[in-house]
Amino acid sequence: MATSAIKLENVSFSYPMSEGEEHKAVNGVSLDIEEGSFVALVGHNGSGKSTLAKLLNGLLVPTSGRVSVYGADTADDKKIYEVRSSVGMVFQNPDNQMIATNVEDDIAFGPENLGVPREEIISRVDWALEKVGMSEFRNATPFKMSGGQKQRLAIAGVLAIKPRVMVLDESTAMLDPKGRDEVMSVIKQLNREEKMTVVHITHYMDEALEADRLIVMNEGKIVLDGKPSDVFAEHELLTKIKLGVPCVTQLAVTLAKAGIKVDPRTIDEEVLIDSLCKLL
Amino acid sequence: MQIVVKDLNYTYSARTPFERHALKGVNLTINEGDFLGIIGHTGSGKSTFIMHLNGLFKLQSGEIDVFDIKLVPDKKKKSDLRRLRGTVGMVFQYPEYQLFEDTVEKDVAFGPKNMGLDADEVSKRVKRAIELVGLDYEDIKDRAPFELSGGQKRRVAIAGIIAMQPKVLILDEPTAGLDPYGKEQILSLITHLKKECSPTVIVISHDVDEITRFANRIIVFNNGKVMFDLPMNELFRHADELHAVGLEIPKAVRIAQKLRERGVQLEGDIVSLNDLLHAIVVAYNKKHIDETVDENLNFSAFEFDLNDSSTCKKGEGKA
Repeated sequence: MATSAIKLENVSFSYPMSEGEEHKAVNGVSLDIEEGSFVALVGHNGSGKSTLAKLLNGLLVPTSGRVSVYGADTADDKKIYEVRSSVGMVFQNPDNQMIATNVEDDIAFGPENLGVPREEIISRVDWALEKVGMSEFRNATPFKMSGGQKQRLAIAGVLAIKPRVMVLDESTAMLDPKGRDEVMSVIKQLNREEKMTVVHITHYMDEALEADRLIVMNEGKIVLDGKPSDVFAEHELLTKIKLGVPCVTQLAVTLAKAGIKVDPRTIDEEVLIDSLCKLL
Repeated sequence: MQIVVKDLNYTYSARTPFERHALKGVNLTINEGDFLGIIGHTGSGKSTFIMHLNGLFKLQSGEIDVFDIKLVPDKKKKSDLRRLRGTVGMVFQYPEYQLFEDTVEKDVAFGPKNMGLDADEVSKRVKRAIELVGLDYEDIKDRAPFELSGGQKRRVAIAGIIAMQPKVLILDEPTAGLDPYGKEQILSLITHLKKECSPTVIVISHDVDEITRFANRIIVFNNGKVMFDLPMNELFRHADELHAVGLEIPKAVRIAQKLRERGVQLEGDIVSLNDLLHAIVVAYNKKHIDETVDENLNFSAFEFDLNDSSTCKKGEGKA
């Protein structure tokens, strides 16, 4: 049995609305995120996925139910430091996450706040920069960098805290294709080589394909949870909840619907090309 | 009517250690009715270029003529910026961050009011603009922009530009940050606006697959210069050159290339996923004469009718 990194038990969260109404963003979610896994989380705008992300490191605490990070309850004030140093968050807009005028200071900010000794901070900064492939930018200023570079820097800043889990809340949404590739390869490498547990929230179905496990949210609930190939086989449900499927799957689905005998569950471009070559 | 740009140069932070030559001798003519896609890397100069088209950047050197409004670098001559900004409407990235009024109606009215139009004309334009972007005017006019969903906010922001009735509409990364359904809605909205309101549309996008859905002409910026300016079907014959400067190739182009390499006969220029579907079906029907299938397939999983404003309200969660 793999160790559980984050466990959610029947978790709900409501935002207060005007006139005393409530909006239930997360509704009775139970979930176990295993240590070392790479989980992708998708859902349309307003499906509750960002709220769920904020519940994972105690930025929000559940209205009902329980979230525990390596056994520590996120609602327990005494445990919140422990929770936050276990679960690092990277957000959408890289510009909102830069606080210092040079790269080194920016990355050192997290460990400084945790009271890490100076020598240790220096070695962590070196290590974090190397992990995101930005060692040469040590003394540069973040404000002149590309989006992809800034976002890798934000990841390095989180790494320097040495979290065991990293949550990325649409961290690739504002990047160009090159920046997205940069960030994705850093995440995959951290997961593979450092055994970091990764929760990646995204709108890009092609990115979701890269995960070990794919969770689909709709109206605050988990509607699908499994291997990406199994989840994307449910293309009708995914279209109904306004999500859609990766491009290759959409091609296969459209062709299959028209009566051409390709498997609508195809997620691999080469497989689709193979079956088309046999038919054409 | 045309937009003519001659020998445009622009340098950021000139005479400082951060000096950067962002535009290097750009020459372009954009015709009325063009549906233009602009692609290029971050830092290639594409945003700097479009900012010039409605006078957000002062000309450093070169000439621009936008539908007979002339812009020159001469400090003594004043350009008619008010008229220019009424002619060229600019929708920035994440335009919803610029909503500021306490009701949707007031926010959309800001632009036309500043143009000095009378109150009747302003309210007429506001109503039409809100309807054009597919929202229910009566339902939404008194609501605070901040309580709308992300996709609705973006449409309100676009309505604010449409209310000025610009002849040219420029959108910078209009679908950035939206979920797949929201993207589809904005793409159909842009096509709709071109037909109903602003006949010349310029879209900047990083997503080539998206651009192939609508543009008839594509300009590629690279390193401050125009690298290609071609009709869409011709551009992707240069796939290798685009790849060499690190630009993405549309998925349909890539898949068609692989199929052809393996001996499949596909007819015509394939740029969009719809082209690819069509070519596959045509090839299939040639081989399977006794069991042919419908040749008019549509790639999108989602369908909506923009004139039916309810389609835009349904299915959007709270922001």
